[in-house]
Amino acid sequence: MIPGPQMRNAPVETRNATTSIHVAPSLASALDALAEYGAAGAAFAGGTWIMRSPVRHEPLRAHYVAIGRIPELGSIRIGPNAVEIGAAVTHAALAAALSDLPEFNVLVAAAARSANPAIREMATIGGNLATSDFAAADCVPALLCLDAEVEISSRDGCERMKLERFLEIRSTLAPGRLVTQIIVPRGEHKTAHARLPLRKAGDYPVAIVSLSISVDGTGRVRTARIAVGSVEPVARRWERLDAALIGRPLDPAHAARVAAELAGEFAGRDSVDAPAWYRVSVLPGLVRRAVAAALGA
Amino acid sequence: MALSLTVNGDHLASTADPTTPLVDILREELHLTGAKPVCREGFCGACMVLIDGTPRPSCLTPAALADGCEIRTVEGLATQGQLNRIQAALDTSDAVQCGMCFPGMVVSLTHLLATTPDAVREDIRAALTGNICRCTGYERIIDATLLALATK
Ligand SMILES: Cc1cc2nc3c(=O)[nH]c(=O)nc-3n(C[C@H](O)[C@H](O)[C@H](O)COP(=O)(O)OP(=O)(O)OC[C@H]3O[C@@H](n4cnc5c(N)ncnc54)[C@H](O)[C@@H]3O)c2cc1C
Ligand code: FES
Ligand code: FES
Repeated sequence: MIPGPQMRNAPVETRNATTSIHVAPSLASALDALAEYGAAGAAFAGGTWIMRSPVRHEPLRAHYVAIGRIPELGSIRIGPNAVEIGAAVTHAALAAALSDLPEFNVLVAAAARSANPAIREMATIGGNLATSDFAAADCVPALLCLDAEVEISSRDGCERMKLERFLEIRSTLAPGRLVTQIIVPRGEHKTAHARLPLRKAGDYPVAIVSLSISVDGTGRVRTARIAVGSVEPVARRWERLDAALIGRPLDPAHAARVAAELAGEFAGRDSVDAPAWYRVSVLPGLVRRAVAAALGA
Repeated sequence: MALSLTVNGDHLASTADPTTPLVDILREELHLTGAKPVCREGFCGACMVLIDGTPRPSCLTPAALADGCEIRTVEGLATQGQLNRIQAALDTSDAVQCGMCFPGMVVSLTHLLATTPDAVREDIRAALTGNICRCTGYERIIDATLLALATK
């Protein structure tokens, strides 16, 4: 939300005086601390969500484990078949690292245009995926359309799962578990991220359309993965639209017409910045913009 | 455990709770009231300070993560009583109105001048996405920044 003009100059009353922050020097130290704290502890990545807990009238946890200085969580490995992104990579670092790879235009746009420059230097990709109450996260639909996987680690080992599955379980993730990596497969796709903030920049997006499409030699759609964010409480794929585009020439106006026919499947969420119907009604326009951007790439 | 902060070149200790927002330490303990907690959400930029050279909203920076860092607030940007380039240009251009947003504007623009010496209007606008001004309509601030960029 755009802040009101009054100062929130009441520093302490909503904070919890017993909160601790362990700045973890290594992954092992972070996983040990999280295991020991159990349900009283949580990861502290960029802090751009956690530090706003008082404004949302939510209590802080008793213990945080700061993960921003753990070298392996801050690195990005670009391999021939996949890109592995450490969970504590910031939006700014992610956008810079992938800016020369057109197949990741969708993720670069998500990371480079979210929030504002100072926040992009702090907010992390892991925090963006892990925040269950944040409907407007940009990287979630971008990574859904890229078919990303999430690696979760604990003192007892690690496991990988599809992002779709992670979104289902994230609010009940067992204590002691940490998102450590996001793995994104590579491919010859045209991708794009269309978001609609209320101002040109700086606000949360009212709605987001992310897409990843491959076309055959005649310009017809071979594969399509489209995802929608910020319209419903959790971002999700738009599989009916994928199916309707496959086999057809890739065309912004046609894609927008089909989107208008199918948009009724979204329920929309009401909030102070935008009503539910508005979020749904802008989807065809965002689909048109996303397809045009993908074609232009 | 005491935190050790370097603020505008001075080494200081604080016993604040580790999650205390840096802006509250600056204002309540150190009486540096340039940075202002307006939204406490990262949207408005009125609390912006440089942490190890990068603009950061001090409302979202917990004390524990400012420990050991080099912090510069608007009070520490002039050298030997001499306003820095953007401060001088904002003054010359008569860009300041109520002044609420200015400590943060000056911090963000000081960084822009240092890192993007060939910035054009659009770059300045983009750099100020997280600095909200209720009074000026921004244009005079942008003109002043162009003036500062032209002043070597
Ligand atoms: C003014 C403002 C505007 C913003 N606008 C946008 C926007 O337009 N689009 C957008 O996408 N984002 C936006 N955000 C950023 C958003 O807050 C973050 O992208 C993200 O949701 C939080 O990331 P973080 O690293 O700061 O997380 P934190 O605040 O550190 O943590 C958030 C939650 O995630 C958990 N967590 C963090 N990392 C992990 C991990 N590795 N494993 C398990 N759990 C973890 C924490 O325990 C906590 O519950 C904005 C933020 C601000 C302040
Ligand atoms: S008070 Fe920190 S950004 Fe508004
Ligand atoms: S001059 Fe008043 S808020 Fe900017």
